[in-house]
Amino acid sequence: MAEVHVTDRDGNVSAVDAPGGRPLMEVLRDANLGVEGICGGACSCGTCHVYVDPQWAERLPPAGEDEQMMLDAIKEFVDVRPTSRLSCQITVDDSLAGMTVEIAPEV
Amino acid sequence: MGAINTKILLESKDLERCPFPIPVGWFFVDFSENLQTSEIRNIEILGQEWVLFRNEGGKVGMTDPYCPHLGAHMGHGGKVVGDNLRCPFHHWEYNTEGWCKNIPYGKITPPIVKKQAILRALPVVERYGMIWAWYHPECEAPQWELPAIPELEEPGHVKPRRGSWPVNTAIQEIAENGVDFAHLKFLHGSPAIPPAEVSFDGHISSVNMANGYIVGKGYGPGLNVFHFTQEGVTATMVSYSVPITAEKSQMNMSFTHKDFPEGSRELAIAKKLVDHMIGQAEGEESAGFESVDFIVWNHKKYRPNPLLCDGDGPIVQYRKWFKQFYVADPETLAKI
Repeated sequence: MAEVHVTDRDGNVSAVDAPGGRPLMEVLRDANLGVEGICGGACSCGTCHVYVDPQWAERLPPAGEDEQMMLDAIKEFVDVRPTSRLSCQITVDDSLAGMTVEIAPEV
Repeated sequence: MGAINTKILLESKDLERCPFPIPVGWFFVDFSENLQTSEIRNIEILGQEWVLFRNEGGKVGMTDPYCPHLGAHMGHGGKVVGDNLRCPFHHWEYNTEGWCKNIPYGKITPPIVKKQAILRALPVVERYGMIWAWYHPECEAPQWELPAIPELEEPGHVKPRRGSWPVNTAIQEIAENGVDFAHLKFLHGSPAIPPAEVSFDGHISSVNMANGYIVGKGYGPGLNVFHFTQEGVTATMVSYSVPITAEKSQMNMSFTHKDFPEGSRELAIAKKLVDHMIGQAEGEESAGFESVDFIVWNHKKYRPNPLLCDGDGPIVQYRKWFKQFYVADPETLAKI
């Protein structure tokens, strides 16, 4: 279990308990924070986009090819930053305790 | 007395009729004239169902039926729209190569859609007035091209006579009779076992039977072209069997010859040659395949380790050649 600090699209900050082993997308979706995760983790919908706090972003495994392609694809619709990630590709573990993420705008 | 070999006595209980996967190659699908512009049809060949369609530009597509989006069967309610096949469920559209060309509501195109075809589509060409599809179980690209067959593609030949027969066996078994020269005497009643030469080179097999009476080539597992020559007159038999399921095939043949003048000696010989290819022909003692081969094909089992004797044809070499067209796990290949 890791506590993750989440800023939603209205600027509200909350702490969410994230069980280890789950994709962060599912945790955010189930906490009703505005993440949809429509495709279920296939990197084909772009609805779980988050901005990871820069200090934490570099501690995550880098984005894979499919994730990077989706991030490139959504650039046309939303601000994609160097720390943008698809939260479906981030698996929660204890090392993420205290991580801060911001839910990106809807595509 | 040593112990008897019970393996040969008992082996047939465990043998299969058709242990073969669907082989790699070009296969006949239908005659071009049978598929109209904008037509969609469901067909069952090559071990599964496919959606066959001709787009508005005239190009033929042959795809897996199930939409990669949510699995709707596009051959039930799908439509040809311009160049594409449109799924009835959410109107996703696919071209003849299986690329998704339109998702009419999503803002973002899923990256894989831009990267590759997402619907399995077999490579299709139209040759000889026929639709041909390239089958590879792992979707690899064609490894050879279909050959020129002047008798079917160039003027000066009669409109081919066609035949089509269902057979309850795999196409390897059907074509094996082409190198089983001994059966021509005993099953077909030919006066003697004809002398024959066979060679194999890549995907092509060649046969010369009875010193030039029958000269033929096989182009992979799905196309054979034979020339029968008698008294200087040649008739052509093009054979294009296609697997329907692992145990069911459709044998298809076209027979043609030069457009000899009506009433000529050449025409009479050519017609007799064609009759003889199929069945009984006047003045011939032996029987064509239609009357005798089916009974064997429809009931035999495949012996991967046959007991051959010295007068048999090059069965083993033929099987080794044919094996290159199978892509399967080692366990399956061991049964072939």
